[in-house]
Amino acid sequence: MRLVITNNGSYPRVGDRPQEQRLRKALSKWEKGRISEQDLRKAERLTIAEVIREQIAAGVELVTDGQVRWYDPVSHLACALENVRPGGLLRFFDTNFFFRQPVVEGEPRWVRSVLAEDVRTALDSSTRPVKAMLTGPYTTARLSIVNAPELAGDVRRLTLLFAEAYAREVEAAAKAGAKVIQVDEPMLLQTPGDVGVVREALGVLAECRGEAQLSLTTYFGDAAKLYGDFQDMPVDIIGLDFTYSEDLVSNIEMVGSSKVLALGLVNGRTTRPDDPETIFRALDRILPRVSVDHCYLTSSCGLEYLPRDRARRKLELMTSLRFRYMRGKG
Amino acid sequence: MSRERLAELGLSLPLLPVTSVGSFPKPGYLKKARSEYAQRKITQEELEQEEERATRFWMEWQDEAGIDVLVDGEMYRGDMVTFFAETMRGFEIGGLVRSYGNRYYHKPIIVREVEWVQPITTEWFRFAQSLTRKPVKGMLTGPYTVMDWSFDEYYDSRREATLAIAAQIRKEVEALAEAGCRIIQIDEPAISVRPEELPLAIEAMQICTQGIEAYFITHICYGNFERIYPGLLELPVHNLDLELSNSELDMLPLLAENPPDKDISFGLVDVHSRDVEPLEVVQERIGMALEALPRERLWFDPDCGLKTRTIEEAQAKLEVIVSAVRAAREQAPG
Repeated sequence: MRLVITNNGSYPRVGDRPQEQRLRKALSKWEKGRISEQDLRKAERLTIAEVIREQIAAGVELVTDGQVRWYDPVSHLACALENVRPGGLLRFFDTNFFFRQPVVEGEPRWVRSVLAEDVRTALDSSTRPVKAMLTGPYTTARLSIVNAPELAGDVRRLTLLFAEAYAREVEAAAKAGAKVIQVDEPMLLQTPGDVGVVREALGVLAECRGEAQLSLTTYFGDAAKLYGDFQDMPVDIIGLDFTYSEDLVSNIEMVGSSKVLALGLVNGRTTRPDDPETIFRALDRILPRVSVDHCYLTSSCGLEYLPRDRARRKLELMTSLRFRYMRGKG
Repeated sequence: MSRERLAELGLSLPLLPVTSVGSFPKPGYLKKARSEYAQRKITQEELEQEEERATRFWMEWQDEAGIDVLVDGEMYRGDMVTFFAETMRGFEIGGLVRSYGNRYYHKPIIVREVEWVQPITTEWFRFAQSLTRKPVKGMLTGPYTVMDWSFDEYYDSRREATLAIAAQIRKEVEALAEAGCRIIQIDEPAISVRPEELPLAIEAMQICTQGIEAYFITHICYGNFERIYPGLLELPVHNLDLELSNSELDMLPLLAENPPDKDISFGLVDVHSRDVEPLEVVQERIGMALEALPRERLWFDPDCGLKTRTIEEAQAKLEVIVSAVRAAREQAPG
């Protein structure tokens, strides 16, 4: 069994060192009309290259672009669709991070790819394979304000409309060279009764994944009860947050896995040191029950909720933990 | 009735009082001074002179604009949590973390027992109050929000941290009351984060306010109110200050369904938009508020602090509120 290190998703695009302020300054100047769109794009590309360098230096083997271009996890993709506009701010789950609520004025329709350019930029800067990120159709539907009477109250229909639109993103990201496309569905943990809707939507995305592997990732909630359902999802990888659940490890031990697991065992929300022994014990119980040749070791969620220096340390910790764990196994 | 509470405190406010949530944009000279102070090019005294100048500017402006309950504008503060973490013991100031868009704050880290050492805001309150005959609000960040928006490397649980912080913030509330502050706002924007923790936030607020002679307001914003309403009404305060316009007034049906037994400070303008709402839009929102709630219970203000706007935008947003409220008072004299 191989343990591959991956960055879960987001990464702090700004840090406290002067050179880590580039994008913040560029965005501020761009908003005031002092630099061009081209200058802003250049700052984004340089920042993506920088965060990828940091990931690789820390030992990450499957990197992301850090979601550096994303205004927030929801509106970045949703509001690029036709008939969807950005609305007011709302807190993103139990974080102190706010997103613009998409306002759905009619059937969401895909008009242009957002992810393909992100993937190409990341690949230009990376010697390692790249994972593309996508906040899933169900979470997007649940977090949207619906102003279209024909869609109001019909979460399944709106989810499937988003899925059809995002399928084009999946297709474009796969063609652009993403090795893995991660679909984040944190909302499912809040409303587990909709697991069937998520399965249906993932089916739409899976048809367009091409050579890429598709991952369903959840966080900010307890995934233990849904874990068995995840095994039936039309995806290749299941990403899990272990920080909200006391039973998740036991459930995996009981059910096993025929899919690759992305094990979010390192806490992406706290500066408190992670306990290596707790993580090793979890790995001891989980890995023998996985019937594929590798799993990912990652953080419980994207690392943007931490300051840049702490995020860097979390990545380094993962590499160190993997080394110590594998050495212990001879 | 909260009006009776105000009267007990010797405060006589007009019908539909207008106020602000707390922060105002800092003038260019203060931004420059803060930057120079950070680079150790000027002394703390020199920085404070500019903070006083900016506070005077905003106090005079509010008085003239017709605001009824004034704020000092927080010219001496950066982030609402970091400011208190910098002034109480037990915190380290961590690195930058994004809050939304291109906005970041230095997220504090609790590393030791949290301890209030000396009054934090009272001198600024006294200074601001000395500049006006109208009441000035004292403004604090609540214990639940300080806990939730900090990393915690010391306490064993969120509950333990929240209650420990509450006991220290109470000391600041006492200090403000002793300084003569009769309207004290304790902000809890994080309160909707985990609905199951609402009782904890209420318990912490009780620690902060119990037995203190003041009219208490709490400001709450950008959360899923429907998940914590009407439980929110258990908060031991007299006034709930709510962001409503950003979320397209979607909380109004909830308020109408479960009428609050508290005053409501009704957010009339979106502070995250550069566009100044037309007078008719603000008047329409006031009309909807008056339909849903008794007029004696209504205050009006922007959705949240205005510090992210330019001075011109902030003033224009407040002016449109004052104009719309004046029109509403004329239509519904009381």
